[in-house]
Amino acid sequence: MSDHGTTHSDTLSAGAGAHGADSHADHAPHGGSIRTYIAVFIALCVLTSGSFMTYTELWRTHFSSHVGWAFMMAISCSKAMLVILFFMHLKYEANWKYVLTIPAGFMSVFLALMLVPDIGMRFWHYSHERLEFCALPQNTSHAAPGHAAPPAPTTAAPATNPAPEAPSEHEGK
Amino acid sequence: MSEHDPHQHSNSGHSDAGHSDAGHGHVKLEYQPALPLSNGKTIMWLFLSTEIMFFAGLIGTYIVLRFGAVAWPEPHTVHLSEPIGAFNTFVLICSSVTVVLALECARANKAAAAKGWMVLTFVLGCVFLGVKGYEYNAKFSHGIYPKLPRSQIWEKAGIRYVAAVRDRLDQVITEISTDLTVAGGPKTAEGRQQLALDTQAAEVQKKIAKFQADLKQPSDKTEGETAAANALAAENKKLDEIKAQMPLTIARDLKQRVRKVELLSAQQPALFASKNPALPPPGQATLDALAEEIYPPHHSEFTPEGDPHAMKPNPPEGINDRYPWLKLPIKISGGNMWASTYFLLTGFHALHVIVGLIVFAIMLTLTLNASRAGMIENIGLYWHFVDLVWIFLFPLLYLF
Repeated sequence: MSDHGTTHSDTLSAGAGAHGADSHADHAPHGGSIRTYIAVFIALCVLTSGSFMTYTELWRTHFSSHVGWAFMMAISCSKAMLVILFFMHLKYEANWKYVLTIPAGFMSVFLALMLVPDIGMRFWHYSHERLEFCALPQNTSHAAPGHAAPPAPTTAAPATNPAPEAPSEHEGK
Repeated sequence: MSEHDPHQHSNSGHSDAGHSDAGHGHVKLEYQPALPLSNGKTIMWLFLSTEIMFFAGLIGTYIVLRFGAVAWPEPHTVHLSEPIGAFNTFVLICSSVTVVLALECARANKAAAAKGWMVLTFVLGCVFLGVKGYEYNAKFSHGIYPKLPRSQIWEKAGIRYVAAVRDRLDQVITEISTDLTVAGGPKTAEGRQQLALDTQAAEVQKKIAKFQADLKQPSDKTEGETAAANALAAENKKLDEIKAQMPLTIARDLKQRVRKVELLSAQQPALFASKNPALPPPGQATLDALAEEIYPPHHSEFTPEGDPHAMKPNPPEGINDRYPWLKLPIKISGGNMWASTYFLLTGFHALHVIVGLIVFAIMLTLTLNASRAGMIENIGLYWHFVDLVWIFLFPLLYLF
């Protein structure tokens, strides 16, 4: 994004001049041409098929899933930048675009990062036993799908289960 | 910005030419836009910046939960189809192009062409939603729901799981049995099937009784006797076949098998208590086999580690596929968290698509000439953002 920043000072002053008095001025002078949009569209299609390529056998025989993840995220970011810059005309906008997008971007990254210690690492220090049973529903009558009826008397069998199988804190619902 | 603009004086001089008389004595207020863009666009961008945080929060949470999870289902296990997802991505990209072309046409004051592109955008949005609905249905029909009353997902094939399977079979048997006694005929498809098969079985039994009576008669023709015996055997076989198709028989037979597995695993903890509790109980293999038989794990077509010749064959048909009305609990490790995040992310995205479609529908009633260009630009910005979110959702949900 920053590499476009320098080219905008002239666009900005021209834009401010044209629209200074008339807030309803049309923005026809900026923006891409039809040719630009078609080029962006083709690029988006090519990039989509690029990320879809990770699904093919050829890709999976040559690269690990981590490479695939990094590749797909790179492609997604490129596609996002194409859409933002050309379809949303941000390439041609004045510097206010940074005020609105950069803080929001930071906020969203921090929001995700703040979850990492508590949520992302929640299984790092679990004992083996707890891991073993962490995903168990708490009790049969609650978790058995599709019926609210109390369990039949024959449910006595699971009750012979040792208590450690149902830890009070468990993952899932 | 514009206060220091050299063009400002000439502009204001032009536009305020009629207000320059000081004779009224009123204070002249001159409004200047703070930003070189319209109010509508400013507010749309402010809204979009909150939307960036909203969706980035959701997507970030998904990533953190997914990579922090002990188990996460493979896309095929939860009936995600990569080609369908790629198709939907393509549809949204096309709709982004059409809305941008509608804007260009409106700016050039070509109202008819702008309307045409807008119609196309609306149709593409509807196609996206239709495909999404089809995908949701594929999950719902397999018992994959984000919430318990309908969700059939279990994290682990343990003793509680097998008890839940047995409970469900009990429930099915009771439901069909009571359905058969309802006045005016059974209400459910299984009940009707049971009734039809019952009638067929009764007819066959009548024939059998007749053949048996024939055989008991002292007959002088041995040919006739063997023919009757053959016919009797054929009818008996038919009866067995009919009985095997009965929903009640299916459920009862299955319940017997499940009960055996349950009893086996119920004994295990007691037998095993003195030994290392960290090891899986010996009955676990039986439980896992049962869970796989009910809902076979649908692996991706390719192994992740990449042996090209190790393509997995199609999974065998599970009990739930063969008898969808059984709706037995299914084991998908990490499936509950998957369902929560999947339906939350795609649900909020679909909600945004619906809002966009409503606005498009309103715009279709207007003449889309140059005076509407600002309006089209604003809804276009929103629509591109919706596309943007999907650009990230598609690889994260389908290909990771």
